[in-house]
Amino acid sequence: MLLDFGNVGMLLLVALVFPLLALGTAFFIRPRPRQHGIEKSLPYECGVDTVGETWVQFRASYFLYALVFVAFDIETVFLYLWAIKFQELGKFAFIEMFIFLNILLVGLGYAWKKGALEWK
Amino acid sequence: MNIALLTSEIAVVILALLIIVFDLLMPRQEARRSLGYFAVCGLLGILVYTFNQHGASATVYHGFFVVDKFALFFKQLFIVATILTLLFSFDYIEGLTHNTGEFYALLLLSLVGMMVMASANDLLTVFVGLELMTIIFYILVGFDLRSSKSSEAGTKYLILGSAASAVLLYGMSWVYGFTGSIVLSEIAAHITASPAMLLGLGLMLAGFCFKMSIVPFHMWAPDVYEGAPIPVTAMLAMASKAAGVAVLLRVFLVAFADLQAYWLTIVSLLAGLSMIVGIIVAIWQTNTKRMLAYSSIAQAGYILSGLLAADAAGVKGMLFYAVLYMVANVGAFAVTTAVNNQYGSDKIDDLSGLSQKSPFLAVVMTVSLLSMAGLPPMAGFVGKMYIFMAITDKGYFWIAMLGLVMSMVSVYYYMLVVKVMYSKEAKNQQEFTASVSLRIVALISLIATLFIGIYPGPLAELANAAARSLW
Amino acid sequence: MIGLVHFLTVAAIVFAIGLYGVLSKRTIVGILMSIELMLNAVNINLIAFSRFITPEVLTGQIFAIFTITVAAAEVAVGMAMIFRVYYDRNTVHAARLDEMRW
Repeated sequence: MLLDFGNVGMLLLVALVFPLLALGTAFFIRPRPRQHGIEKSLPYECGVDTVGETWVQFRASYFLYALVFVAFDIETVFLYLWAIKFQELGKFAFIEMFIFLNILLVGLGYAWKKGALEWK
Repeated sequence: MNIALLTSEIAVVILALLIIVFDLLMPRQEARRSLGYFAVCGLLGILVYTFNQHGASATVYHGFFVVDKFALFFKQLFIVATILTLLFSFDYIEGLTHNTGEFYALLLLSLVGMMVMASANDLLTVFVGLELMTIIFYILVGFDLRSSKSSEAGTKYLILGSAASAVLLYGMSWVYGFTGSIVLSEIAAHITASPAMLLGLGLMLAGFCFKMSIVPFHMWAPDVYEGAPIPVTAMLAMASKAAGVAVLLRVFLVAFADLQAYWLTIVSLLAGLSMIVGIIVAIWQTNTKRMLAYSSIAQAGYILSGLLAADAAGVKGMLFYAVLYMVANVGAFAVTTAVNNQYGSDKIDDLSGLSQKSPFLAVVMTVSLLSMAGLPPMAGFVGKMYIFMAITDKGYFWIAMLGLVMSMVSVYYYMLVVKVMYSKEAKNQQEFTASVSLRIVALISLIATLFIGIYPGPLAELANAAARSLW
Repeated sequence: MIGLVHFLTVAAIVFAIGLYGVLSKRTIVGILMSIELMLNAVNINLIAFSRFITPEVLTGQIFAIFTITVAAAEVAVGMAMIFRVYYDRNTVHAARLDEMRW
């Protein structure tokens, strides 16, 4: 039993060593800013230099989209089970799923009407 | 499959969805009070319908969902509590936010959660009902957009509540693993006293005790009760607690009956602690809602102590007590709402001079508080008597004695509130107004408390029949 | 062969990490993430039991689906609540929720 965990241990070891190796190599071969001046250490052909704070806050509107997405995302989990057994379950389950989807639709309509989907 | 057994739950869901749709169709400026009346009327209809189901004893979905007298008793309790809460809080909800339509719909959906809990016959249904109720209560607690206390209370409740749910769920997973089933009766058939099983049992007990705010899992209750809007506090105190009791009773008396030797001692300690802490700490409170929160912790202790009897007599006492506690709380919270509508805060000091301004509401508050304290001829006395008689029969004399002593102490702090109402001068000479529906609810609470106290027979019969259907 | 005990051990460790996180994290977001961890530990437990104890009925797996759903709902409400707190106090530190005590 413990031997089985050995594989996990090996993986853990590799996972630890690999990033350390990569970062360590970069640490040794990087240019030293003190030696060549500040211009040398600026990013070259790697995008634009940042202006101001790099930690920006995103608009709260993203969050509302995410919420609506999560609701329908979780709905899919239930749809899967229903779809697999669709043939055997019959009419009753079909109507049931229809009602379930309709309840979600009322929710979506509510979010829409209340302006949650508008980008203000 | 007999889907007709689910009619009352489905009806409440449809009612809630209709309210959401109507809320969308109504012009933005129009007041949403009509939706509240609609909700009350719909619930009254459903309440009448539930009497139709009396005598039924059947299960749906492979035994996941059961309708019997026990479930019906609790369902009717929840529906009545919701109706009364809605009736006394129209004015208050109106001042709360613009989205009052949402408020009514959410309240109804949490009611569905409680009703599912009352009928739950397996761990999954217990969990789903419990979470439906609790998650909606997280939203409702944080519903007061004007107050930063409300969002604080909502966040605290959310964090502690979900952690407690996770603990409960972890316990359930162990119970499932070691019995191979989640249906309560099959758990009872396969149960063994293995350590893993006891771990699951302990974690589940902790989770349920959190929902019922039993010491030492009560830390959330005072903050949440203080920060939440008053109708939500009332629902938390009356209905959510009763729902916790319903689930606890079914799970522990049906599934874990054979492990009694292990959980009885713990339950007796928890009940005793709740009585002591709830009553002692309440003495120093200056906020009415916070005081009622500590009082509710103590009352939860009294209700829980009925479980020690583990027979029909004890359960009967618990059901009886849940009803009279609901009735007394409705009175107390209705008065608190009226005072809050007047002064905009809920300090105990705000009650001063209530006896001159509105003698009727002062009397209702007094009777409700004394009923919770357990003085005859109020209902609380009879309820305590039933519970104490049942557990003394089983040899838990010390809990009964402790309960008696503590209810003496509780008379002291309830009398402090009464003294504020009757002997202090009012802060100002403003006219005191309260809506008609609030007065009607207060009157119902007053009459019911006195009626149950003087003539407990009919309710005791009902509770007894409900309790017997568990076995 | 990896057996039931392995899964239960992993679940117990994950649950303990989550519980530790709930008690020690300073921001509300961190606490919510820790709660998710606890719920996922439950899922591991449920699915492992379902696979090893009752392989012919899928009760545990269905239970896990409901757990996932509930966890999503909890997080949705939790995030909304964090927005409210941030709006009120300009911070999401749990220690700053101290308006009410005793």
